[in-house]
Amino acid sequence: MAYFIRRLAAAVPVLIGITFIAFALSVASPGDPAVELLSMNGFSQPTEEQIAVKREEMGLNDPLLAQYGHWLSKALQGDLGTSYMTKESVSGELLRRLPATLSLSLLAVLFAVLLGVPSGMLMAIRRNRLFDHIGRALALILVSIPGFWLAIMLIALWSEKLQLLPTSGYGTWKHLLMPAVVLASGTGAILMRLTRAALLEELNKDYMLTARAKGLRESFIVLRHALRNACIPLLTVIGSYFGAIVGGSVIVEVIFAVPGIGRFAMDGIFRRDYPVIQGYVVFTGLIYVLFNLATDLCYGLAHPQIRLGGKLR
Amino acid sequence: MKRTQTAKNKKRIGVLFSLCLLLALMGCSAANGSNESSGNNGLSQQSAAPSAAADAASEEIVLAAPRDLAPGPQDAYYTSTILYVWEPLITASEDGKPAPKLAEAWEMSADGKEWTFMLRKGVTFHDGAPFNADAVLANFARYKQVSPKSSPFYTLDINNSYPSLKEAVKVDDSTIKLIFDNPQPTLLYSMINFSSPMYSPNNFDENGDFNGLPQGTGPFKLVQHEKDQFSLLEAYDGYYGEKAKAQKIRVRVIPDPDTRLAALKSGEILGVMDLGAIPPALAEELLKDDRFAVSTAKSTISHYLHPNGAKAPFNDVKMRQALSLMIDREQLVKELYLGYPTATANILNSTSPFYKDIPAVHHSEKAIALAHEVLGDSRQAVTLIVPTYGLDRYPYKAQAELLQAVLQELQLDVTIQILDGAAYKEAQAQGNFDLAMATQGLPNGDPYTILNNYMASEGSSNKSYTLGYTNARVDELLNQVKATLNMDDRAAIYNELQDIAAEELPTIPLFNDASLIAYNKEITGYGALVYGTTLPQLERVQ
Repeated sequence: MAYFIRRLAAAVPVLIGITFIAFALSVASPGDPAVELLSMNGFSQPTEEQIAVKREEMGLNDPLLAQYGHWLSKALQGDLGTSYMTKESVSGELLRRLPATLSLSLLAVLFAVLLGVPSGMLMAIRRNRLFDHIGRALALILVSIPGFWLAIMLIALWSEKLQLLPTSGYGTWKHLLMPAVVLASGTGAILMRLTRAALLEELNKDYMLTARAKGLRESFIVLRHALRNACIPLLTVIGSYFGAIVGGSVIVEVIFAVPGIGRFAMDGIFRRDYPVIQGYVVFTGLIYVLFNLATDLCYGLAHPQIRLGGKLR
Repeated sequence: MKRTQTAKNKKRIGVLFSLCLLLALMGCSAANGSNESSGNNGLSQQSAAPSAAADAASEEIVLAAPRDLAPGPQDAYYTSTILYVWEPLITASEDGKPAPKLAEAWEMSADGKEWTFMLRKGVTFHDGAPFNADAVLANFARYKQVSPKSSPFYTLDINNSYPSLKEAVKVDDSTIKLIFDNPQPTLLYSMINFSSPMYSPNNFDENGDFNGLPQGTGPFKLVQHEKDQFSLLEAYDGYYGEKAKAQKIRVRVIPDPDTRLAALKSGEILGVMDLGAIPPALAEELLKDDRFAVSTAKSTISHYLHPNGAKAPFNDVKMRQALSLMIDREQLVKELYLGYPTATANILNSTSPFYKDIPAVHHSEKAIALAHEVLGDSRQAVTLIVPTYGLDRYPYKAQAELLQAVLQELQLDVTIQILDGAAYKEAQAQGNFDLAMATQGLPNGDPYTILNNYMASEGSSNKSYTLGYTNARVDELLNQVKATLNMDDRAAIYNELQDIAAEELPTIPLFNDASLIAYNKEITGYGALVYGTTLPQLERVQ
């Protein structure tokens, strides 16, 4: 627990740093939030006076450090501010969208693991045999297919042709199947190859020879000894991937009309909605910190010699 | 001991795995639950099989739009007018002229400074409150309080729609009077639709925002809204006019056009609505299947090519004319938009009642000669900027490439730059461009706003888009029109301004867009309007 708290505390300066960088980049990028707000319908053309009044109202005329400091002092009290465009609470909006993003991400990781790990294991065990060749080709195909194309193909087959799954939306487990498959395909393929490579490396080590000499069953050796040692790189990939898709997968969210965090953030970026961008950065930063921690915990579970805080048992 | 540790680890991994699965499913069931709690039976329809169209037990008709048509309580209107939840005092007739809605009749004083509105009687808001003079005054008080209030539809700004309004007073329960400092002969045009929305006086909080779902007087009530997911409409039994034919309509948000097309084909939705509901190319594809039909109407959207008139070469009117003559608008409309929009050389949108038909002329030899006069034998590098939001709705990438190819003959080497909305506006404001592809909506029926914005020396669009246009005669006409009470005289001035714009080209008009929608023939009564659809007439074919 102390280790957990220490890691979280260490993340605070990192979060402050990345929010400042995000703020500086937002301000430096072309575009004025006041103009964006006053012309958000794309047709209205605000006058210079209206823009000046709105900038003052939004606090955009304050010195940059004062603007950031104002945001930071509120953020440290748990208030991520209000969106310039929608006038709604940023944290409320992020929390409202979290279930959609989280359920989609979890399912995608599940699919990626279910596809990648068992196939990779079989490919390693049956090295250079038919299953291995097919698996390697499949992994290459899956990793090369663009996500948007796969999404369109899946919709054409499962929704248009077979009418078994909804094209889009959010609400039931059926809505999540296709977007999760699209998100999982590339990472599943990477896991396949990674599992295969890591397992092959373990299978050729001396301790495997000892295990076999002891008369242990091959399946027992692979599952109990080799996979366990091979899973450290797998856990690293899975942890990073999870953090990345929770942070948002805009294309999949747009194609499948999933009301997730990615779409919210993208709208915020396009409209120079600084509070939304800042809130999103804090949120994704926290997610990464938490998933890195979770990954570290999993290392300990998978490999008892690894103990948190860098101590070896 | 070791075995115990292993068992523990296995157990931990098992728990972690189960937790992941549980969380994933909880996410779904949470959303499912929230919908069910409000009586949603549409999820079965969203689940594709069996399709919405085949779900005979359901009275609900499911449509889709590219964006959320109900931005929510902080928005100026809560919902777009095309959901028919709220109604304005004044609407537009088919020819774009002001027509009665909640105001049945009106009268302007001789000096144009006082307008009296007779209100429709027997009207109630969805929350049961009566629509009367007090309700109208409460709405005017809100306009004052919140203006300018942004919205993805139109900005609510009392200073634009009711310039120099001194006060709004109640004459009797069903009559109000608006008193102005200056004459307002075209007030009715600027009051159309988004400028005079009416809500129950009990519907606002202390900031002028909505304190719950919108309580309008329209044929539909908004009974449920899940942001960025759907709006559920229910026919309002107490509606004073012809009641909505469909009992329930769900309007889903499906941002991607290909997904909307797939949802139509699979029967998951029965129609689409809103701007960019279906791109022309997809509409053509859909029409190959005789289960579907499309409907079109004029649109208030115009497409322009903005020149940077503050620097060479487009500060020279001859170069702008060369550009206009070189572009074959008919071909552009036919090839890229499959003939749905209408080519035009007029800055004013064709839905305006003051629109003058100015045919688009394509004359490449004359264009080349004009360009040669300006550029001599040298070639000029120009930057064409394209906004990303245009790419989402229109074939702007193909259009930009077409322009790039065509303008080579004018000795122009075009570089295309695609910019996000904010960067695009900044580039325009700073003059960091030569040409910009742009769309413009007609703000209201009176062309003064749009002509003044684009053509006056100090016009807001003229300055913000760096059009660099000045003409003393235009400034004089625009000043003159403000004091002209007689509508025929105003029309004459507007005609002259349209002619000047077509000749001097502060911007290069390309075409007037078309409002295009598609639907499954299992529904009837559904058609496109200039702004929106005939939603209240929509019903399932028996």
